[in-house]
Amino acid sequence: MKIATTRFGELEIEESRIIHMPDGIIGFEEKRFVILNPEKMPFCWFQAVDNPDMAFVVIDPTVFVPEYQVRLTREEYDRLEVRPDREVLVLALVTMAPDPGKITANLQGPIVLNPESMLARQIVLEDGNYGTRHPLFAKGEQRQARVNGTAKNQAMRKVAAQFDSALQSHAAL
Amino acid sequence: MLVLTRKIGEAIQIGERVQVKVVDIKGGQVRLGIEAPEETRIYREEIYRKVMRENQLAMNWEMGDVRSLTEHFENQGKE
Repeated sequence: MKIATTRFGELEIEESRIIHMPDGIIGFEEKRFVILNPEKMPFCWFQAVDNPDMAFVVIDPTVFVPEYQVRLTREEYDRLEVRPDREVLVLALVTMAPDPGKITANLQGPIVLNPESMLARQIVLEDGNYGTRHPLFAKGEQRQARVNGTAKNQAMRKVAAQFDSALQSHAAL
Repeated sequence: MLVLTRKIGEAIQIGERVQVKVVDIKGGQVRLGIEAPEETRIYREEIYRKVMRENQLAMNWEMGDVRSLTEHFENQGKE
């Protein structure tokens, strides 16, 4: 199917790649999304199928915070139709800024996606371990930052490619 | 807004399936016990609003910011 997007123009998307969010993203009505990585950048976009203007920059939070974990309740697993021993994908919405030091990720409200059912939900974590404005590129020693930046760049590209292939392989089923 | 007075141990019933009970009151804080169907999402209001506000901020970004970030990465990779 064809979808209109403000930033990426008109795109041809296979229906099997559409992610369904029955509860939407908190504060918004849209229920259908696709993950895009059109320019092979080290992150992806979460584009609303039914609203051309609505697209979020998303990342795999574990690239930045390796110990990051989202604990789902039984009910959340059920609602995403996760089968036993299967994994889900976790995405964090990024709040962009012109200064990379001010770019943050929302680690308190991650999006959890089951690539098998293509169902996703935004989960609100109440445990207080993670906030909504986690800086992605902490200011620190320059050299360290450079090393981290390069590693993160590679890791994020890999993850973006993995999202792509994970979704494609399920689309093929 | 409907305002009701309740004592410790008393509850209010919202519809057929939701019950909110006052469990304890201490030092200006009220502990509530909530019974609701599994599919009902229950959040502390301020946390819910915080996530919602961040979602709105996250939706406003410029392609230029993304490009400069990508360049920032690329340049780091070359050094």
